[in-house]
Amino acid sequence: MRPLRGWVRRFAALFRRTRRDGEFSAELDAHLRAHIDDNVRAGMTVEQARRHALITLGGLDMTKETYRDQRGIPAFERWTRELRHASGRLRRSPGFTSAAVLSLALAIGANASVFTVVERVVINPLPYPASDRLVMLDFSMPSRNIPSGFNSMTAREYFFYADHARTIDSLAAYRWEDRTLTGETAERIRIARTTPSLATVLRTPPEIGTWLPNAQRRGAAPSAVLSHGLWVRRYGADPGVVGRTVVLNGVATTVAGVMPASFVFPDAGVEMWINEPFATSNDDDYSYTGVARLRDGASLAEFRAEINQLARSLAPQAPGEGYEAIFSTALTLQDFTVGQVATALWFLLGAAGVVLLVACANIANLFLVRSDARQREIAVRRALGAGTSGVAGYFLAESALLSIAGGALGLAAAGAGVRLLVASGPALLPRLNEIRLTPIHAAFVLGLVALATLAFGLIPLARIRSSSASLHDSSRSGVGAARNRARHVLMGAQVAFALVLLVASGLLVRSFVKLRALDLGFDPVSRLTFQVGLPPSSYPDRDRIVRGHQAILARVGALPGVRSASIVNCVPISGRGFCGGAPLFAEGEPPPRNDTVRPIVASRPVAASFFETMGMPLILGRGITQADIDGNSLVTVINDTLMRTAFRSDNPLGKRIRLSPHRANGAPLWFTIIGVVHATPTIALAEPRPAPQMYLPMFAGRDVFPRVDVMTYVLQTSTPPLGLAAAVRAAVKDIDPNLALAQMRTMQDVVDAAAAPRAFTMVLIAVAASAALLLGIVGIYGVMSYAVSQRTSEIGVRLALGAEPGAVMRMVVRQGGVVALGGIGAGLAAALAGGRAIASLLYGISPRDPQVFVVMTVTLLAIALVACWLPARRAAAIDPITALRME
Amino acid sequence: MGKTDVWQGTLALMILKTLETLGPQHGYGIARRIEQTSGHKLLVNYGTLYPALLKLEQEGYIKSSWGVSDNNRKAKFYQLTRAGKKQVEREAREWNETTAILARFLSPDEA
Repeated sequence: MRPLRGWVRRFAALFRRTRRDGEFSAELDAHLRAHIDDNVRAGMTVEQARRHALITLGGLDMTKETYRDQRGIPAFERWTRELRHASGRLRRSPGFTSAAVLSLALAIGANASVFTVVERVVINPLPYPASDRLVMLDFSMPSRNIPSGFNSMTAREYFFYADHARTIDSLAAYRWEDRTLTGETAERIRIARTTPSLATVLRTPPEIGTWLPNAQRRGAAPSAVLSHGLWVRRYGADPGVVGRTVVLNGVATTVAGVMPASFVFPDAGVEMWINEPFATSNDDDYSYTGVARLRDGASLAEFRAEINQLARSLAPQAPGEGYEAIFSTALTLQDFTVGQVATALWFLLGAAGVVLLVACANIANLFLVRSDARQREIAVRRALGAGTSGVAGYFLAESALLSIAGGALGLAAAGAGVRLLVASGPALLPRLNEIRLTPIHAAFVLGLVALATLAFGLIPLARIRSSSASLHDSSRSGVGAARNRARHVLMGAQVAFALVLLVASGLLVRSFVKLRALDLGFDPVSRLTFQVGLPPSSYPDRDRIVRGHQAILARVGALPGVRSASIVNCVPISGRGFCGGAPLFAEGEPPPRNDTVRPIVASRPVAASFFETMGMPLILGRGITQADIDGNSLVTVINDTLMRTAFRSDNPLGKRIRLSPHRANGAPLWFTIIGVVHATPTIALAEPRPAPQMYLPMFAGRDVFPRVDVMTYVLQTSTPPLGLAAAVRAAVKDIDPNLALAQMRTMQDVVDAAAAPRAFTMVLIAVAASAALLLGIVGIYGVMSYAVSQRTSEIGVRLALGAEPGAVMRMVVRQGGVVALGGIGAGLAAALAGGRAIASLLYGISPRDPQVFVVMTVTLLAIALVACWLPARRAAAIDPITALRME
Repeated sequence: MGKTDVWQGTLALMILKTLETLGPQHGYGIARRIEQTSGHKLLVNYGTLYPALLKLEQEGYIKSSWGVSDNNRKAKFYQLTRAGKKQVEREAREWNETTAILARFLSPDEA
């Protein structure tokens, strides 16, 4: 390939140019001497010979120039020259350069970091093969007042669906449990009790060893698979752990294998998977969650329809259990995993995009101002024969340098931004720990840089082309109307974008404030909570469980700094479903035609003084006392939601209710209502409908529903709650060294964690809005300052002719104010139109909340007017004499 | 007819042919030789000669080295490479074909 070889050499010739130039000079010199020698031989005098040779040789420099062009790559050399000159020009105007580079770095950094997180978390969140075929089972029971989002099923349902569903390849069911892992130290860990089909559904092989065996031999030790994290943390990543026996809740369990670090199912908190079989008999136990892989060609809608049909055909097997009331609302695993977070992150990406637009408008404006100031220089270039490409080179070189610098800084900022997002992001964000800035994301940044270069470089070029810049009018200080219009449009756009982001952040802040001001029904301040599970090996029956909890409660309740202590199965906002829920029956009401219309009530077994300890005031009646506990009294306290559901306006005190599993020896077990409290949030902070709840004495005799072996303790403290943690651990260890505490935290932490995703979105949008506002202010100030400086002489004339300085100020402010008002109008229209995008992120306010709109509009207008007023003041202070002399 | 500048595209062939005939030669010598061969009807513009030499060298048809001329002066000598020799043959053949075709167009009585 001759041409290629030529180019390679030409490229090589770009280096060591001085030496090559010298060599060519020597060659030309030899040529000249040879010519002179010839001429002398032909009879000329030396002087004549030299003159003749020089004339024949022609323009020496021109020859050298052509030679250089052939030697190297002229376009490349011209570009390096343009870039060198441009960098010189940029160094000479540090204000412009740093403003442009910083705006760009801010915008690119924000976009790249948010894009990185969005790509990992929203676009590509699941590390499983063909993850788009995975679906989560989810249900609604409209007749029982249960909306979709109820992702629990009974074991009977699981086995029936697994056997009969034709639209799926495989189905797995699991449930979270907390168990105590004993050994050198006792440790409370979260496990998933799962069917062995889980690895088939997710198609993920273990890192070492094997997955849970499909069939367990009768009497054989149960099997466990460790998470990568637990394997490293507790077993020092020793491969020999496979086949070893670990003790879980006192039960010897064989380790079958270790899963890879990327396998975080159902969430990152689960450290072990075990295959303890499910009991099929208990139809009240909605405690299993299902995940399935769709068969090729089957759609989600077909799967839902099939599950609805299968649930109906399950009803005759277990009459009266309400299976006919179930509707499938299955959703893809991806939607399930990222759901609400996805909306917030997309919104954030949009906000980052808007910041980029504001920054672009800002830089374009800076460039416009600069191109106006450079009219004369450009005109000279033109006059000296520079074509459009020459002038384009002038601007493109500057914008390329700025974009590269901005991109490099932006990339560095993005690295920091991603770390910040990861560190402050809600813990439930999937795959958060894997987020890194990768080449894909760097390519995204490069794309932004390329776009930015073209955009900024071409804007002034378009202006130069449209206005026939020439030497004679470039010295005049008038400014064309078209030029002003472009700047004003850009400035108005900045105001509009800034307003949209300000309104969005205002809405989020206001709904966050509303959320935090929400009446929780309890007092989270000065409350410590932790979980204790009594393993069945040492606590095999209810008697021993009761005595175990009583002993721990007595010991921690007596610790100094503890004002009162109590126990419940699940504290509010525990985030895990109903935590023991069953259909409600009220005594004396007519037997319902259909069991399926009964509301599901969350059941809360508690120890004495629970309501005082949690800070839950009683609306009616009294709380549950130690006498009730000791006497196994069949009493209950209900919340106001249950009171309204079951008793409308009647006084419920003294009435008797039960949940369907409340039976003793086949006879129903009725609980007498002795008090009413306010509803507390069950799963999340802002629940549209708080769940009906009943509280009962935790040891209330007979077959208690739900189980009480794993309970959550609550301490009301007179000192900072976490300061008691060590003392509490020591006290529990003293009672039984094999017990481990889990989830030690303050109630305030529980509430904060529930609000964290909203806080995260709110803070980031607020940051984006502040950035847009800052850029917008700089933009307005810059444009108005420039306008004033261009009109110096005109203003001078006005002042000389007797105009009041105040009038001049008003004129300038009016000019800027009109543009700002235009921008605000456009921004208001956009914010009103785009309200639906943010609606799902709001709580308790409308996306058109007038208060937010008014406050933000007035704030922005005031700031815009100040940004106009500063240059206006300078205009009014112009000295007419100086101004006129300048002309 | 006065002197004309050498035609674009043919200069490379002329240089190669000159080097084939004369052996290693410096730029001045090549220029003089081309002028002489053309019966002084062509004027070799130095501004095109040296870039053309450089291009041929970049493409690997000729190579250059510093040497001493007949007049005992230092000069840069160019000589054909192996690829250059093949290139002379190929280009000469193509040129002959082209001129033969053109000749037929220009003398209609032979058609």
